[in-house]
Amino acid sequence: MNRSLVTRAVAVAATVGLGISLAGCSAGGSSSTGTVSGADYTGPKVTIDFWNGWTGGAAPVIVPELVKQFNAEHDNIVVKSVPMEWADIASKMPLAIKAGKGPDVAVAHGDDVATYAAQGLLLDSGDIVDGLGYTADDFPEGLFEGNQYQGTQYGIPWSVTPLGLYINNDVLKEAGVDTTVPTDADSYEASLAALKAAGVQGEWVDGYVFTGTFEFESLVWQFGGDLYDEDVTKATFNSDAGVQALQHMVDQIDKGYSPQNVPQDGNFNALVKGENAYNWNGVWQTTNEALQDVDFSVAPLPQIGTEKAVWSSSTDWIFPSNKGQSADETSAAATFVKWMNDNSAGWAETGELPAANDVRDDPALVEKYPNLKPFLDQLPYAHYETVAPGITAANAEITTAVGEAVLGKKTPKEALDDAAAQADKILEQNAQTYGG
Amino acid sequence: MTQLAPERLPAAAPQPPTPASTGGARRRPWHRRVPTVALYVALAVMTLAILLPLLWIVLTSFKTDFDAISRPASPIPDPFTVDAYRTLSSGQQPIFRWFLNSLAAGALQTAIILVTASLGAYALARLEFRGKKIVFGMIVSTLLVPPVIFLIPNYLIVESLGWLDTIWAITVPGAAGAFGIFFLRQFFVGLPVEIEEAARLDGASDLRIFLQVVIPLSRPALATLAVLSFLSNWNDFLWPVYVLLSPENLTLQPGLSVLSGAYSTHFGIVMAGAVIASVPVLVLFTLAQRQIVDSVAASGVKG
Amino acid sequence: MADPLLSPAARTSRSARPGAPRRDLTAYAFLAPFLVLFALFVLVPAVYGLVISLHRWNSLVPVHPFIGLQNYVDLVTPGSLTFSDFWSSMRATGIFTVFSVPLLIVVPLLAAVLLNQNLKGTTFFRGVFFAPYVLGVAVIGVIWKYLLDPQAGVVNHLLGLIGLPDQTPWTVDVPWAWVSLVGVTIWWTAGLNTVILLAGLKGINADLYEAAALDGAGTVRKFWSVTLPGLRPVMIFVTTTTILASANMFGQSFLLTQGGPGTETRSAIMYIADQGLAQGNMGAASAMSYLLFAVLAVISVVNFRIQREKA
Repeated sequence: MNRSLVTRAVAVAATVGLGISLAGCSAGGSSSTGTVSGADYTGPKVTIDFWNGWTGGAAPVIVPELVKQFNAEHDNIVVKSVPMEWADIASKMPLAIKAGKGPDVAVAHGDDVATYAAQGLLLDSGDIVDGLGYTADDFPEGLFEGNQYQGTQYGIPWSVTPLGLYINNDVLKEAGVDTTVPTDADSYEASLAALKAAGVQGEWVDGYVFTGTFEFESLVWQFGGDLYDEDVTKATFNSDAGVQALQHMVDQIDKGYSPQNVPQDGNFNALVKGENAYNWNGVWQTTNEALQDVDFSVAPLPQIGTEKAVWSSSTDWIFPSNKGQSADETSAAATFVKWMNDNSAGWAETGELPAANDVRDDPALVEKYPNLKPFLDQLPYAHYETVAPGITAANAEITTAVGEAVLGKKTPKEALDDAAAQADKILEQNAQTYGG
Repeated sequence: MTQLAPERLPAAAPQPPTPASTGGARRRPWHRRVPTVALYVALAVMTLAILLPLLWIVLTSFKTDFDAISRPASPIPDPFTVDAYRTLSSGQQPIFRWFLNSLAAGALQTAIILVTASLGAYALARLEFRGKKIVFGMIVSTLLVPPVIFLIPNYLIVESLGWLDTIWAITVPGAAGAFGIFFLRQFFVGLPVEIEEAARLDGASDLRIFLQVVIPLSRPALATLAVLSFLSNWNDFLWPVYVLLSPENLTLQPGLSVLSGAYSTHFGIVMAGAVIASVPVLVLFTLAQRQIVDSVAASGVKG
Repeated sequence: MADPLLSPAARTSRSARPGAPRRDLTAYAFLAPFLVLFALFVLVPAVYGLVISLHRWNSLVPVHPFIGLQNYVDLVTPGSLTFSDFWSSMRATGIFTVFSVPLLIVVPLLAAVLLNQNLKGTTFFRGVFFAPYVLGVAVIGVIWKYLLDPQAGVVNHLLGLIGLPDQTPWTVDVPWAWVSLVGVTIWWTAGLNTVILLAGLKGINADLYEAAALDGAGTVRKFWSVTLPGLRPVMIFVTTTTILASANMFGQSFLLTQGGPGTETRSAIMYIADQGLAQGNMGAASAMSYLLFAVLAVISVVNFRIQREKA
């Protein structure tokens, strides 16, 4: 009797489990790839959630102001801005959308759009784009297409965020080093050597994403290489160009220009404290309050390699297709995006460059925010993130390799080869999962 | 405590019966010859090891961000500022809301556990029924199963119930564990059965016996379980990180992690957040310290 | 209803007596609230998780084809995508467990013995040692991440003041990251074990010590032959729960080192949670969790046997 009860219990549990899983298969799986209308929202009052990763710099002040203004001008729409770390959005949003608890509108980085689209999480934004009258020429080259997946437009470019060179002028002056901005490998090397002679470690390299990885990627392109091949089926960051790029970073440590175990944000903190002179960081740091009391300037990245190149990301509007997404809310979200685009002149205050060419090329912008000019100057040769579903998992291997090399655990070639091998497997799995 | 009669002391080392060695004091297994001062020093060192880091954090919360990272590191904030607290109160990161959420979740889960576990434990301890061995066996067999097994399927279940991002997700699944019912069952079994028998003879139903006889006798065990359940929910980190989505629905632990990421170079603010998260708990703990620690201690001895 | 014909012995025995009337309905009514929760959140998921592990189950892809044991095979086949990542995360968990568990037993044991002495204020000190545990893992992680920051933290500053190296990368590189993770865990939870062991010590009959003293036992002998055996049940409890807690470590890695450098301190739980919940790779992650369960089960059984055989 005991045994039959146990068997029955297990059978029941198994059936329930299978039942749930089958239900999951049929119902929760495919989400609608509906479209977003470009017309202004005129329906009943709705509240929409807007997820964004703008938690640093001036954005946490500016975004609520913009949202407040929008809410004041629109009786029937209430936008709730939900800022959270970019990494949190990446890990929580997909499942939240599947469960119907995701946002009605969000911003994502360029390398996420294709992934979300392939996962069936986004609505087609073609109509909005038409309504705004946007075409590819309105944005930096390649950005518009980067927001498409299999021919459908999903994202609308909002801002671009390239890397640049931050310089602490006080440190240079105190060390008695020439304050001319280095523009190539030789002048950069000379400056670092002079700093070292004066007892200053000039540029600290690290293995963290926002600084080390992006520095590495910029260097790969500068040495003429690329991260992946054309079809994104194979990793190519372990090519000679890649090894040269990583070797350059490791050399900084070997030559004594950088300590070895730099913690996260350590190099930026050091710049602020006057412990180093140069930091390769994103344009978003131009509005970091910590720099307020520092005599700093910004410049384009020095050209260490054979070409001019710089890493850049983009932030793009996306319209999640939540389970049970209400058409009204999406429509309201579209209105919000249109309004934000029309009122985007002040966005440069946050330290991001507006994506729309005419807003960015307006001379008044540089007049008001002179620190952005060096970043703007780099855009013609900026490389944006690779577009392919599931690419972020492969990109994570790059960060691992940079970390391993910088910490001296593997030679640059070893680290990159190992990472490329893993990345290839990930790319293969992506192809299987997303059908290529 | 046993008093030693002088003639039972080892002859080789006759000792004057000092109060410390015979007068109501327990014999200690070792350290009898170690000077008491050394023991106090050891205690003091360990206390400092715990209090000094906390003190440093409190001081840091009153520093500017620049001051918090500068060397040489000085304990005195210069300048002294409450900007960090001001920033936190401004609402960008709703830390006070997180605190209330944690309180509510802890209370709710504790309540669910106390009710369901005590009722079930009574049945297991005092009632005979078909399938009792199987039910008890099933429960006990899950005691040592690591929670990671349930992580993914419970996520899917919680999602299909529509509980994602709600307080139910962080209270109900956690209340389903076997520890509470097992712990109370062991306790009930140890209670003298005569009083219950007497009540039964008087015609009381099981429910009345449970409510009016067993529960009052079980206060220490219930208190222990309540404390353990509340602490376990308060400390819960992995699960809320994944099932709570909107910033205002977070509890304190994932919230602090979010805060730390959002203000990664602003250590003054992060430490202020840590202080806000710690002070109320530490105050409550100090007030109820004896009972809390006694309860936790009892769990190990009984378990 | 009680049967007055039953002998007093039968009537007063501790648990419900066999031969007593069965009250199925009442019993299940009492058990129902718990059983509903237990079935829904323990039994069903246990099976459901197994089912998931037998499919190529990505939560963001609608179709979940059945692939039998392929997920498990991948986990034990060198060269597969999940093999190296999973086993390096298991290695991380293993390293952490091996180093943290002994310290989490020895340090609390010494502290408990210390607190068991006839000193003033032991209740106060006991409370102090326990206090970090009530703060929660996120508070601990956040404050120690700052204190151990190689550049900005006060630990390195103090080490520099006394002439030791002041650039140690406590949160950045191994092996120091392991020292940090284990150290912080001890700071956080040693008090818990101390309190439980202390209760166990107080439960040892004082007469046993006197009997041992009469036999000529010194302090060390007494410790080995009275204290430790007297603590056995409590020790089994503490050892088992500590091993399980260490094997399930998540918060410390997540907050202190983010699994770094690279993924070297990424614990098994961190990897499984990330794969299953953030990346949506539920099939593989479920298989990993069952594999971890199997390993832990073996260890628990071995631990139990060893402790019992010491008798």
